[in-house]
Order: sequence, then C-alpha cells, then structure tokens
Amino acid sequence: MTMKRDEQHPGFPWATVLWGVVFFAGMIGTGLLIRFTQLVPAPWSMALMLLPMLALVPMSRAYARQSDSTACASPAARRYNTRLITLSFAYVFGLMVAMYFYREKEVTDGLAAALLALLPAIPTLGMIWAMARYVLEEQDEYLRARMVRAAMMATGLLLSIATFWGFMELFGVLPHVEAWWAFPTWAIALGLSQFWNKVREQ
Amino acid sequence: MKNRLKVLRAERNWSQGELAEKLGVSRQSVNAVETGKYDPSLPLAFRISAVFDLAIEDIFIRD
Repeated sequence: MTMKRDEQHPGFPWATVLWGVVFFAGMIGTGLLIRFTQLVPAPWSMALMLLPMLALVPMSRAYARQSDSTACASPAARRYNTRLITLSFAYVFGLMVAMYFYREKEVTDGLAAALLALLPAIPTLGMIWAMARYVLEEQDEYLRARMVRAAMMATGLLLSIATFWGFMELFGVLPHVEAWWAFPTWAIALGLSQFWNKVREQ
Repeated sequence: MKNRLKVLRAERNWSQGELAEKLGVSRQSVNAVETGKYDPSLPLAFRISAVFDLAIEDIFIRD
C-alpha cells in the first residue's frame, strides 16, 4: 500500500510569512519615519501608511495559493480574507481622514467629532461582522469548529487581560487604556490561539 | 474516537485530498478525523460511510 504525497504536512508557508514580515517591517518603518522625520507633512504622512499595507495583497494571494495546493482553505475563508483586507484599507483611510480633520482643522464639535470617530470605527465593526460571516458561511464543520474554539480562547484571554488591567488601573498601578484596544487585543489573542491550535495539531 | 480511515483509504489508494474532495470537506478535516483529533458530526459520518460503502461502525471503533 502506498500513500500519496499529500499525506505529508504541507510545506512551511514561506511566501506568506515573507510578505507578512514585509508588511510589519513596512508599517513599523513608515511609522518611525513619520514620527522622527518631518519629511512628509500631515495629512500625507498618514497616506504613506497605505504603502506598506499593499503587502497584504500579495500576502493573502500567497496564503490562498498555499491553501489551494493543500486544499485547506474554503471559499468562505477566501471571502473572509478579501473582506478583512478591504476593511483594513478602509480603516487606515478612515483614520487618516478623521485624524486630519481632528488635528489640523480642529473639528471638536460634538456631532462633527462623533462623525469623525465613526470613520475608523465603522470599518473596525466591519471586521467583526466579517468574522461572524465567516463562522456562518463556513461549510466545513472542522474548520468552523477550529475558528470557534480559537475565538473562545481569544475571548477568554481578552476578558482576563481586561479584568486584570482594570483592577490594576483602579488601584493606580497601571495607566489608563482606551476602550478601542479591546478589538486589536482580541484579534492578537485570536492569532495566538490559532497558532497554538496549529502547533497542537502537528 | 478511533477509526479505520487510513487503512480504508490506502486500500482504495486515495490520498487525503482525494477523500476530502469526495466528501466535500477540506484536506485538514480528513486529517483531523483520521488521526482521531476531531470526531465528525453524524451527517459527515454518514457521508464517510457512503463514500466507503460501509456501515459507520465498520469505519469508527467504539472506545
């Protein structure tokens, strides 16, 4: 009895990781460039952040290629990736416009400021919607169960961190953290949970 | 739950990917079920049984 090649674990996703590194290095590099040099004036400095984000496109393509070759991604997962990348661009663009009007034009009036705050908030809510859609659209019960398990772990982590931090803050040990940190913290926790589950599977 | 998927698959000379395609699931799902890391739902278990043309209890072994 001979086993076929795809019995083995799929190869390490070098291309995806490489583009991921390019993305993070680009984001950090551009951030530092804007922060410590005055080369690019506002609001164009924020627009500069869109450049390293372009690395997300080849990154998701590389991921889809890897996924196709190992038949691990589903159509729902591909839709999820496309939605997340589109919403990430919308988020950076929204934040850029909002910060420009808030800082440069000093729009601080109640309603106008609220509308500005919605610009980055709505794409972020969109990301949460995209995650919910993924769980609803995923036809593969194992992939869905894996996502749900990782999301539960991430929720547990976020609640633990928020509780711990909240009490530390109350007693003056840790500084105040703004509430919008909840989602990025949860997203990082989700990434860690997915990584942990992957390690456990191997 | 233990199962005979790997042997049954080898007898038919199917790869995990081929079985996944027949079942309409991902290759990872086949791998997770085969290695006992994930117990399939009843509908998926019936699909597996239909693909191999065997009863569920001839594929999955009670602990």
